Amino acid sequence: MNTNTETDLEVKNLHAWFGQFHAVKGISVVYPKQSINAIIGPSGCGKSTFIRCLNRIHEEVPGARSEGEIILKGVNINAPNIDPVSIRRQIGMVFQKPNPFPSLSIFENTIIGLKLQGVRQKAKLMEAAETCLRKAALWDEVKDKLHQQGTSLSGGQQQRLCIARALAVNPSVLLMDEPTSALDPIASAKIEDLMSDLKKEFTVVVVTHNMQQAARIADYTSFYILGEMIEHGLSSEIFTNPKVPQTEDYITGRFG
Amino acid sequence: MNSSFKFRKFKNIFFMSLFALSSLFVLIPLFLIFKYVFMMGATSLNFDFFTQLPMPVGEDGGGMKHAIWGTLTMVGIAASVAVPLGLFCGIYLSEFDKSPLANALRFCIDLLTGVPSIVIGIFAYILVVVPFKSFSALAGSFALGIIILPILTRSTEEILKLVPAHMKEAALALGMPRWKVIYYIVVRSNLSALITGMMLALSRAAGETAPLLFTAFGTRFLSFDLQSPMASLPVQIYTYAISPFDDWQRQAWAGAFVLIILVLGLNLLSRCLINYKAIIDFFKKGSP
Repeated sequence: MNTNTETDLEVKNLHAWFGQFHAVKGISVVYPKQSINAIIGPSGCGKSTFIRCLNRIHEEVPGARSEGEIILKGVNINAPNIDPVSIRRQIGMVFQKPNPFPSLSIFENTIIGLKLQGVRQKAKLMEAAETCLRKAALWDEVKDKLHQQGTSLSGGQQQRLCIARALAVNPSVLLMDEPTSALDPIASAKIEDLMSDLKKEFTVVVVTHNMQQAARIADYTSFYILGEMIEHGLSSEIFTNPKVPQTEDYITGRFG
Repeated sequence: MNSSFKFRKFKNIFFMSLFALSSLFVLIPLFLIFKYVFMMGATSLNFDFFTQLPMPVGEDGGGMKHAIWGTLTMVGIAASVAVPLGLFCGIYLSEFDKSPLANALRFCIDLLTGVPSIVIGIFAYILVVVPFKSFSALAGSFALGIIILPILTRSTEEILKLVPAHMKEAALALGMPRWKVIYYIVVRSNLSALITGMMLALSRAAGETAPLLFTAFGTRFLSFDLQSPMASLPVQIYTYAISPFDDWQRQAWAGAFVLIILVLGLNLLSRCLINYKAIIDFFKKGSP
């Protein structure tokens, strides 16, 4: 269980829109350092939109905008004078579908973030690739075929490659948007183990449809409905003793 | 086996054969063109064709060196301006496709695609030939450039729109600035398709006669002066083909054959260049 009370990421009254549609309605939450934070809720409840606001990739969709404060290490990163590019290097993201770049090798996929930041020394890149692939628990499986295409791997391996790719730019927060929903149970279990390891270095925010998964790995869980946060607290309490009836209905399968 | 199932099977076979038949019909003209041009052209072709200038009527031999040179020059000059412009416009249209400027640009490009090439010729005549008081290679290049531009812009746009949004998002999420995402993820990973689109636009320009008739006009001599008339393969073929002289007509067939080979060769060459790295990699590592 997470005992760290130091705040890494704090969200204050965050709203998000797609055109006229109000998708996220005033969410405030605190994520402690080195914790896993799960977001659960029925489809369309704004949980993906919410974490896409955190690394400001939400605003890349035409017509989309967000308002509110996102405070990373004491700085509001949702301010107009902050460059989203620099934010995305501090807040990494893993997507629902494994999406390694198709024309690049496993090695190139891992270090592309660093390479495009201007790191050129081969030895440095190689070292970074090994470190990140080890952190993503993929090194032993791919060390002999680093120059094969990233898309030649299995789905679960591809997802771990994407995690390694996100780690390479050295973020402090890792966002995961349903990272295991396209994977089989064994590959999912590997990703879950990996997340528990990653927690030692990163603050993880994970959107999941799988409540057992949230209960297994998350220190804190939030429950969303229709863009609002209904309940937030320690996972142990949310799943055993929810305070709001809607949460109980959802986690017991009576709703959603 | 019940009757409705039999009927369904019959429908399946019927439409399958319909599709196969249509494909065959489409291939017939292509093969006929190749066959005739090859039969008539290849037999009239010799080494002189590439190294000699046209002979006066009645004298044997002669070639179209000046026209081959003219086509390469004018298409080259047109491409050097229209290709970067078309690529940039296409990238703009695919990456900023909802902006008002993009919509206006797309509309104009569509209109331009629909303009008959003879009209583009007249336009170049008014804009370049009249003020300079002379037919010129530059006027011809200008007209060809206008032919290339809309084709290339739209093909670039269509190709780049095929890049899945989640790939761009993956790159953005790694903290890449937008221009790097466009360059490395969108453009670089589609280089071969883009080059194919470019080659198609260039081949189209290389084969155009109408825009050159009253811009570059044509000449019987090898010309390096861009401000004077210049010969081109299509115009030369046109002139020779409508002439009453037998040997000129044979030269026209040879010219047509060379034009096809030139365009086809450009296409194949570009694909080989693009695949070059893949081929090298294959021999080095034994896997693509």
